[in-house]
Amino acid sequence: MGRVLAIAVSVVSDAIRRRILWVVVLFALVLVAVVPMLPSYGQGVIEAVYREVALALVYVAAIVIALVLAASRIPSEVERRTVYTVLVRNVRRWEYVVGTWLGITLTLAVASVVFGAIVFATGWLVYGEPMWTLGQGVLSIWMEAAVVAAFCVAVSTVASPVIVAVSALAFLFLTHVRTDLLGGPSNPLWAFYPSLDVFNIIAPVAHGSGVTAAYLGVMTFTFAGWAGALLVLAAIAFARRDV
Amino acid sequence: MGSHTGALAVEIRGAAKRYGGSGGFVAVDHVDLAVRAGRVHGLLGPNGAGKTTTLKMLLGLVRPTEGTFSILGEPTGPSVRARVGFLPEQPYFPPLLTAEEVLRLHGRLAGIDSAQIASRGRDLLARVGLEGRGTTRLSKYSRGMLQRVGIAQALIAEPEVVVLDEPASGLDPVGQRDIRNLMLELRDGGVTVLLSSHQLSEVEAVCDEVTILNQGRVSAKGAIDDLLNVAGRTSIRARGASTTLPAEIQALMEDVAVSGSVWVFSVPDTAVRAVVDILDDNGWTIESVVPKRQSLEEYFSHMLETTEGEVA
Repeated sequence: MGRVLAIAVSVVSDAIRRRILWVVVLFALVLVAVVPMLPSYGQGVIEAVYREVALALVYVAAIVIALVLAASRIPSEVERRTVYTVLVRNVRRWEYVVGTWLGITLTLAVASVVFGAIVFATGWLVYGEPMWTLGQGVLSIWMEAAVVAAFCVAVSTVASPVIVAVSALAFLFLTHVRTDLLGGPSNPLWAFYPSLDVFNIIAPVAHGSGVTAAYLGVMTFTFAGWAGALLVLAAIAFARRDV
Repeated sequence: MGSHTGALAVEIRGAAKRYGGSGGFVAVDHVDLAVRAGRVHGLLGPNGAGKTTTLKMLLGLVRPTEGTFSILGEPTGPSVRARVGFLPEQPYFPPLLTAEEVLRLHGRLAGIDSAQIASRGRDLLARVGLEGRGTTRLSKYSRGMLQRVGIAQALIAEPEVVVLDEPASGLDPVGQRDIRNLMLELRDGGVTVLLSSHQLSEVEAVCDEVTILNQGRVSAKGAIDDLLNVAGRTSIRARGASTTLPAEIQALMEDVAVSGSVWVFSVPDTAVRAVVDILDDNGWTIESVVPKRQSLEEYFSHMLETTEGEVA
């Protein structure tokens, strides 16, 4: 575990110094800050609209960060040969893959905490009420972005960053159209369709009182399942690869 | 640090790497390599000879098509690699990290505790000439400085075997000299060094033994002296006032080179005593009498010409 953490810390140290990360964060936060200035809110729903739009912006920003960090990390390390000095240590290939993903996920966590704090503070300042359920929304976004990062890491063990980014967008699309394709749970294929819809809790967070602890548990379980499965595939693919 | 001199520190048997299936490109073709502990062993060859691929197979970066690989008597794997330091050709590190962070990462991967990493890191950075530069981002480093960071990371775990792939690449003459001295220091400390290079002067200066690869195969191997000494001839270096050598030895001379009043030439071993006596009688000063040795460059180009001839 020490080696996985060492790699993760190194990934975080590198990632948080990337200008692109903070440009995305800043851009998203500027947009969040201007949401309350938008006109045409109906009476009584203004806070809900703020929460919905703010979470949508955070979602887009988190996915962009996941793609930027995860799509190119392993290909560029192999291309630039920075991976050599790591893999010739007593490091297993799976440790490198998991450490890389963990570092990206921790970076996403840092960005998510920044997003969450600003969105929460802006909401409280502008509307005068603490919107605690935003925390659930940001948590679900972080989990989904971490799954996307795991997908990118898995594909990037065998493909170039462009292919990784395109396939990740396709993955996102396909994992969010279960209802459109299958209709509902009555469809026999419903349970077998790979879906990330469980992470989409913007509606209950923005318009309701959030989700239950049990639902958060299901979400966490789904997150662990997706990330674990994708990382196993990534480790297998990377272990078979010449670098 | 250090191993038993005489035992094999690195052993490769029948290493082969083929790309693209049975009819594909053969990068390495049944290479055997044995490096004795405590020696500096050169792996020599032109570009594309298979040196780097052989090293990558040894270190687990490339999956071999065939062959067995062992380091310090154990099949190569993550556990034995903890005792190995590796400097890749033109090492590159994440540019936003600092040298200290790179050493910390590699120290932690090697299982060294944090306090030791800090002190070893400082010592190593001083040893490779980067004292006071540890907190500078690597994006501000020159290629030569990155090479020095690469050397420091290779040594952070006090390895028993060090594998260096073109270590002088990108270094100025002073840096190249430092690398040579470092390799000799490591050898004196009992560390085995496997050096891959196409810089023949570097290999000749530090290696006890060499293995020469060409077109993926071992072309020659052995002690440098055995490979380079020319059997039956001795080189004489003499200084004299005359512009010509005594007539009675001119028929015996080969490979004559003259610079000012200094003459260097080779004669048959059997004629050395007579030639020295004649020069002495004629007032010449004998500066050296040594077995004739061709430079590694001469040996290498001769070998490549021979191989090309065979191929043609």
